[in-house]
Amino acid sequence: MTPTKVHQLGIIALIVFTVAAPWVLPLFVDSFWVDIYSEMLIWSLLAASVNLLFGYVGLLSFGQALFFGMGMYGVAIGIAKMGLGFWPAFGFGTFLATAMAAVAGVFAVRLTWHYFAIITVVFSLIFYFTALSWKPLTGGDDGLPFSMPPIFTFGEDVKLSLTNTTIQYYFIALTVGLCYTLLAIVLRSPLGRAFRTVKENDMRASLIGLNVYLVRLTAFICAGFIAGVAGSLFAFFGRYASASYMFYHVSGEAVVWAIIGGVGTLLGPVVGTSLLIILREELSHVWEHYLLLVGSIVIIVVIFAPRGLGGLWHGLVNRLASRNDGTLDSSEETKL
Amino acid sequence: MDVVIALGMNGIVWGLIIALIALGLSIIFGLLDIINIAHGDFFMVGTVLAWFVLQTTGNYWLAFFIVPIIGFGIGALIEYSVIQPIKNAAALSIVATFGLSIILQESVRATYGAAPTRLVPPITGTIPMFGLEYEIYRLFAAAVSIFAIALFFGFLHRTKFGTWMRAVRFDPEMATAMGIPARKIYMVTFAIGFAMAALGGVVAAPITTVDFQGGVDILPFCFMAVIIGGLGNLEGTVAAAVMLAFFEGVMASFFDPTIARIGSLCLMSIVLLIRPHGIFAGATR
Repeated sequence: MTPTKVHQLGIIALIVFTVAAPWVLPLFVDSFWVDIYSEMLIWSLLAASVNLLFGYVGLLSFGQALFFGMGMYGVAIGIAKMGLGFWPAFGFGTFLATAMAAVAGVFAVRLTWHYFAIITVVFSLIFYFTALSWKPLTGGDDGLPFSMPPIFTFGEDVKLSLTNTTIQYYFIALTVGLCYTLLAIVLRSPLGRAFRTVKENDMRASLIGLNVYLVRLTAFICAGFIAGVAGSLFAFFGRYASASYMFYHVSGEAVVWAIIGGVGTLLGPVVGTSLLIILREELSHVWEHYLLLVGSIVIIVVIFAPRGLGGLWHGLVNRLASRNDGTLDSSEETKL
Repeated sequence: MDVVIALGMNGIVWGLIIALIALGLSIIFGLLDIINIAHGDFFMVGTVLAWFVLQTTGNYWLAFFIVPIIGFGIGALIEYSVIQPIKNAAALSIVATFGLSIILQESVRATYGAAPTRLVPPITGTIPMFGLEYEIYRLFAAAVSIFAIALFFGFLHRTKFGTWMRAVRFDPEMATAMGIPARKIYMVTFAIGFAMAALGGVVAAPITTVDFQGGVDILPFCFMAVIIGGLGNLEGTVAAAVMLAFFEGVMASFFDPTIARIGSLCLMSIVLLIRPHGIFAGATR
């Protein structure tokens, strides 16, 4: 089997598992794991937005929680304050996050390296404090709860709403799946190649005629969009919005998930997020201070496997394949 | 008007303590090229160690000597085990120090507990100043911070080791070629950074609270001082810390403290974008 085939099989397995999860998971574990799995899918999108910036364009953002929070508030404010329906609120949340990313990006991508990381933190902190103090609109510390409007109504009886857990699960899984598909398409397009070129060497990228600033800005807006979708979904999932999700610790967690899963691989963030959330759910009851383990894992991964689990997996598959064929498959392009 | 003076004074005292902590952050950045997300937690560890010294010996004054030494030791250990192995992956240093921050916070929560404590200052009492009664301990705290900062600059400019530190920062390869033990310099610099943050913790513990999350609020403030003063510009860091804290103190007497914080964060973004080397760039180098 070629590495490409192995990866395709992996993706198919993941899709099958995701589709079957509401029936399969309760057979083996408690049914609340279905909820946790949808939570994992949502958070993995936030990690994916970090990954898009760091893994493909080479910009480490420590402020993606800002766009996540914008998505959350867009949905919550849209429903609770403006009386929007389901789809307009979803659109409003995503739009707010994307617009925020566009505005922040214009300034942020002028900087690189450490300066970029710092300015993204600063932007997210500014809006974190604003959300905390602007109580009438955001609810401050207490958060802003709302009641769920139906997705779709037909007459009096036919009503589709996320209050049904199965519908909620499939809605989340489908949206997350769409985002990853979109991401895969973008990454395979000439734009995706431009991303990687800028990451490898921004000087050469500009010499071959790429507008490095514009490429980085585009990536930043895409990442903001993904984080915004994640935030909107999470608002629907938890039925509230809170400023605490905009704090830099949330951004930091997303960076950790992305790094452990493997930056520069499409599905690495899913793996990293799932793993750490499973760890949290399983260990936090048993051992109150399980975060000690999380911190250690982060440091160990950074030191010994800076490309994360995804990197290890690719290395393993490629090595096995080269042992069988006698050739090393080095097609970076097909990497997923 | 009294409130403005009191908050302005508090701001200057607080600014001097922050300057001490931020100086540690600044030397770590300037020399090791590492953004230390865990620096606020170094401060927090200092406050907890001060509390611990007070509990075991009953004498707070001892903490001023013991805690920086313990901090130096922990700092050297962390540099050896975490920072050294990732020296070649600078971008990931932020992630590694984030992991470090999680570990420090959680180990303090596991040992010290989650409940914040207030410490009684070792000097109580007030003296009249500018028409109001001002706490003596705060003045003492400011004096200790100034003394420690002066000591550090003396070390940096007057001793052989300090000269080596400046040499390694200027050009690590050339310094190594001339026989300066760069590896050792990195370790000592990081350890000094930790010790300064820990001393800041001892000084500040009776003014704030001892809490395992105490570093979370300090960190953005230290970063603001370092950025506005200019990354790696040590004198600039000190000046910016005092100015910022004074500014926030005075702002806080007119508005909500959160608004004051937003104001200084906005100021910091403007500085980052317009003068990424700080507002004092060109004045010193």
